[in-house]
Formats: sequence, structure tokens, C-alpha cells
Amino acid sequence: MSDRLKIFLLLAPALTAIIVLFMGGLGIGLARSLNYMPVIGLVDPNFDAYWTVFTSQEFYLSFLLTFHISFTSTVLSSVLAIGAALLLRRQFIGRAIINFLFQLNLTVPHLVGAIGILYLFSQSGSFARLAAEWGMISRPGDFPALVFDPYAIGIILQYVWKEVPFIGVILLANMQALGEDYESVARSLGANRWQAFRHVLLPLIFPGLLSASVMVFAFTFGAYEIPAILGPNYPAALPVLAYRKYTDVDLEARPEAMAMAIIIALLSALMIFFYVRISRRNIRS
Amino acid sequence: MTHVSLKDLTKVYPGSKVPSLDRLSLEIPTGELTALLGPSGCGKTTTMKMIAGLLTPTSGDVTFDDRSILREKPEHRGVVMVFQNYLLFPYMSVADNIGFGLKMRKVDKAEIDRRVGEILDLVKLPDLGKRRPSELSGGQQQRVALARALIVQPKVLLLDEPLSNLDAHLRFEMRDLIRSLQQEMGITTIFVTHDQEEAVVLADKVALILEGRLCQYDQADVFYKRPANEAVARFFGGQNFIAGQSTGAAFDSPLGQLTLPQGAIAGKGTLTFRPENVKIGEGQSNSLNATLEDRIYLGTQTRLRLRVGDTMIEAIANPDEVGGFDVGGPVPIHLPPQTLWVLQ
Repeated sequence: MSDRLKIFLLLAPALTAIIVLFMGGLGIGLARSLNYMPVIGLVDPNFDAYWTVFTSQEFYLSFLLTFHISFTSTVLSSVLAIGAALLLRRQFIGRAIINFLFQLNLTVPHLVGAIGILYLFSQSGSFARLAAEWGMISRPGDFPALVFDPYAIGIILQYVWKEVPFIGVILLANMQALGEDYESVARSLGANRWQAFRHVLLPLIFPGLLSASVMVFAFTFGAYEIPAILGPNYPAALPVLAYRKYTDVDLEARPEAMAMAIIIALLSALMIFFYVRISRRNIRS
Repeated sequence: MTHVSLKDLTKVYPGSKVPSLDRLSLEIPTGELTALLGPSGCGKTTTMKMIAGLLTPTSGDVTFDDRSILREKPEHRGVVMVFQNYLLFPYMSVADNIGFGLKMRKVDKAEIDRRVGEILDLVKLPDLGKRRPSELSGGQQQRVALARALIVQPKVLLLDEPLSNLDAHLRFEMRDLIRSLQQEMGITTIFVTHDQEEAVVLADKVALILEGRLCQYDQADVFYKRPANEAVARFFGGQNFIAGQSTGAAFDSPLGQLTLPQGAIAGKGTLTFRPENVKIGEGQSNSLNATLEDRIYLGTQTRLRLRVGDTMIEAIANPDEVGGFDVGGPVPIHLPPQTLWVLQ
């Protein structure tokens, strides 16, 4: 048996699952978004669902909110993860414990984290009550709205809390593999600490940072549960809006939901493409 | 042009009780090429990193022209270190790698381009500026690393095992290049090596460091002729060590009484002589009758294992000279007095 055939056969189970589940689902979604749904009598494909989505103001508001959530969460998580990795690669007493605590979040499901944020940061949550008890605010209701708020602070807080260790662990492994010699070379050639970081370490860890942050961006752009629990009702994040349409009692709203899902996937891919291009140009130039 | 002094330089790493470098003192004259020689883990690279400011000494001082530099940041010391594995920035072109130090000093772009072009010519890589480091051979990468260091005109150049990653033919080429560039630019240069031949060929003076301590700091030939102790002699390939008593003029040993060169120390000691200084045939003095125990042909020379009484002697001779002697048979040898050295 040739190597080519062997590789193909070994990959076949995984490829079958990907093709059947992912491409199949995408195909069905695409067909339904084009108003092709024979079960309920829609048999003439058209772009009506897309037209409805693109002419709806709510869609654009939802898109802006979702983009804001993803972009802010990704940038904040990346910056904090770089800082954390830079600290954790140093030798200090208690490093192992701090490292363990830093990675602990990875094991906590998003949903559990979101409920924690809700209990801690909502206007009836623990921090609001403590602030009122200590006289910092007159009543818990005066606590700043960090959950269900129009700026999605609670959602971003949850994503940053969860994604900093995710990106941080990747960067830390990257930095440990690189060692400090490249920065030492840069320092001896006349670079100060910041220049050594900006012109040497950052470009070196950039591939890892880019992969991790693209994953975070894609996940936060398409995730449903956190915006559903912590987000505002209007405008809702795009996945929440799509799910609402999908579960609408009127089955004819389903093509609209599917159009929205397809648009989310396309926008996500498009934004990742530009994000990769722009960051590559700026970091490594 | 900088005179470098290391004064009782000591480094104890956190968690270790044994110093990696123990009170090293060296005077490295302006514009000279000095080798820090020693086996792996003896403290050579630690010394370099402390000079470059990449490590802080536990105690001691480093001065440039009598001015302590320990408080100065690495980027302000004027010391450039070339690492063993080159560490070229993989995402930059060769030209950008070389111009890096000038860019950090905010030198004008046109000036950087001009100087990069000049230095590329100097290291004989005139057309490779646009390539990536991954597209270069090991020897070319080493030249780029050297060019990147030289372009900033450092006060002191540090080379960490500069030839160890190169093939034999490239080592000769690179060795000559380093030597000629260093002499041309007059930069005080310190290089680290574990290879005594490399140290001897390249350096004006050699500092032999064993187990974190300076054993001898001298011109290369002195290590062969007058080693400071048995460890130094062994590191430089010495294999003959015979205990005995010196009168200053002669040495009483199991080999008999041997005539010593003028100025030899008196008292109990160890006589040493290099294998290549054991001469075949009768001599004017110190002639001995040996038995050939074994011989190994090495191409340009033959290694002999000889026995005189109960004492074994290692010798190296020209293959033609010893071709007629049989293993187990007698071989007349002599030890010229000027090649003998008594260790105390």
C-alpha cells in the first residue's frame, strides 16, 4: 500500500465526520437560508431571507455589539496573556503555585463562569451588596450596570477571565521554548527592554499569538450561551438573535435564522482574514 | 579600543552552593583577542554574559578602561555578544538582521543601508542581503551574525564558541576571517571555546578555566612548554607525568637521572614532557632504551606506547621514522632537556 493511500485511509474516519457533520450541516443551513425547506412547503429557492436580514436595523446593531464583544475580548485577552506569560516565565518563589492558579480557569466551563459573573457583578450580586454595606453606594441598585448592559462589560469580563489563561498557556510554552537568548542578542546590539520585546520577542511569539487570538475571536463571535446569559435584550448578540429567529413559533422565520447563521460564519471568516493580514503586516514589518 | 579588567568576578547561581565562576581576575589589553578556554560548564559563558550585562555577578567587578560598568544596562555597555547558535532573527532579511543594532540606535535608513552594504562586502556576502536566514548555510549564518555585531562598532566583541557549529573546512575559513576582521578593526575581543587548538590558533592570549577557576593565563605556546600544573598539561594533551626529585639541574626518577633545562625548580615534583617531544634514536643526553608496547597509525603521525622499566611513555612520531620497529622490540629514544618541565 502506498504512503499516500495509507495517510488517506488513516484520515478517513476523521474526514468523514468533518464532511458529514460540518459540511452537511452547512449545506442544509445554506439550503434553508435560501428558502428551500420542502417540509414546510418552501420549494422555490430565493434570497428573501438575506434581503430581510440586510434590511433590518436590528441586525446591524447586533453585528456592532457582537464585533465589539469579540474584538475587545480578543485584544484585552491577548494583551493580558502576553503580560502574564512574561511574568510567569521568570523564576520566582511560588511560581509553580501561581502557574497552577493561572491555568485553573481552563477547567471551568463558560456557563459556570458566566453564572459566577452574574452572582458577583450584577446589580443584585455580591459586589453590589458589599458596596452598599460598606457605604460606597446607597443601595445595591446603584451599582454600575456591568451585566445586561449595552456595552457588554459582563460578557467581555467573562471572556477575558476565561481566555487569558488559554492564550497565556500557549504563549508561555512558546516563550519557554524560545528561551531568552534572542532578547539577549537584541539587548547587546543596543535594544532596550521595550525594543527587545517589540522587535524581537513579539514577532517570535506572533504565530502562536495569532493562532490563539484567531480562535478566541472566532469563538466569541459565534458563541451563544454567554451573550444569552449576560447580554442585553436589545440589541442582542448575533448568535442570540439567530437563535431567537430559529425558535420562533413561526416556522417561516427559520430561513431568516439560517441566513443569519451563514452570515455570521462568513463575517467571522472575513474578519479573521483581515485580522491576520493586518496584524502580520504590523507586527512583523 | 577598550581595556577590559575582570576583578575577582564570582557567580553563584540561585539554589547552588558551588560557584559557577570563582574569583576570576583577568586583564585583557586593548585590541587583543583573548580566548576563554575550558570544558563545558566551567564558567566561560557565564563570564561572557556578566561582561555583556546579561547576568549579574554575585561579587567582583568588570571595568572598561578602569571604569566599572556593572551598573550600566546591557544596551549601554558597548559590548556585543555573538552566540554559538547565531540567533539570527528568522522573520527578518539578512540586511535587516545586520542593520538591527543601527535601527535600535535610530540611525537614518539610508545610512543603515550604506553600512549594511559595506559590511556585507567585508564578510564576503555581497548579494545575500534580501535572503532570509533559513536560506543560508551555517557558515553564511555565522558571517551574518558577525556582521550584525561588527556594524555597531562595539567597544568589546564577545564570541561564544564561534566555530563549533561549522564543518572542518568552514572552520579554517571563518577562523581566518575573524582574525583578520579583529585585527583590521582593532576591537578588544573575547571568545569562548572548549577546543584548545582553536584557542591557540586564534587568540593572542588564552585563559584556561577549569571548574570555575582560572588555572593559567598566558600566550598559547606557554601552555605547551610551561603548564602551570598537571591539570593544565593534561587539558593541552600532556600524557607523560613522572614523579621524582629535582636538584634543579637533574631529575631523579624511575627513568633514571635526566638532565633538566636551566632554571628548573628544585625539590619534589612531577616531570612532564609532551608526546611529540619524545625523539626516536640516541641523543646527546637523556637517552633511554624503551620497549614498543603498541602503536596506532594516525595518517600523518604514529602514536607509540613505550615502556621504560615499569614506566609507560606516550610518544608521537613520524610514521616513516618508526616503520622499522616491531611491537615488543626495543626502541632507542631520547628526551631533549629543553623540552622537559618540572611541575611542583
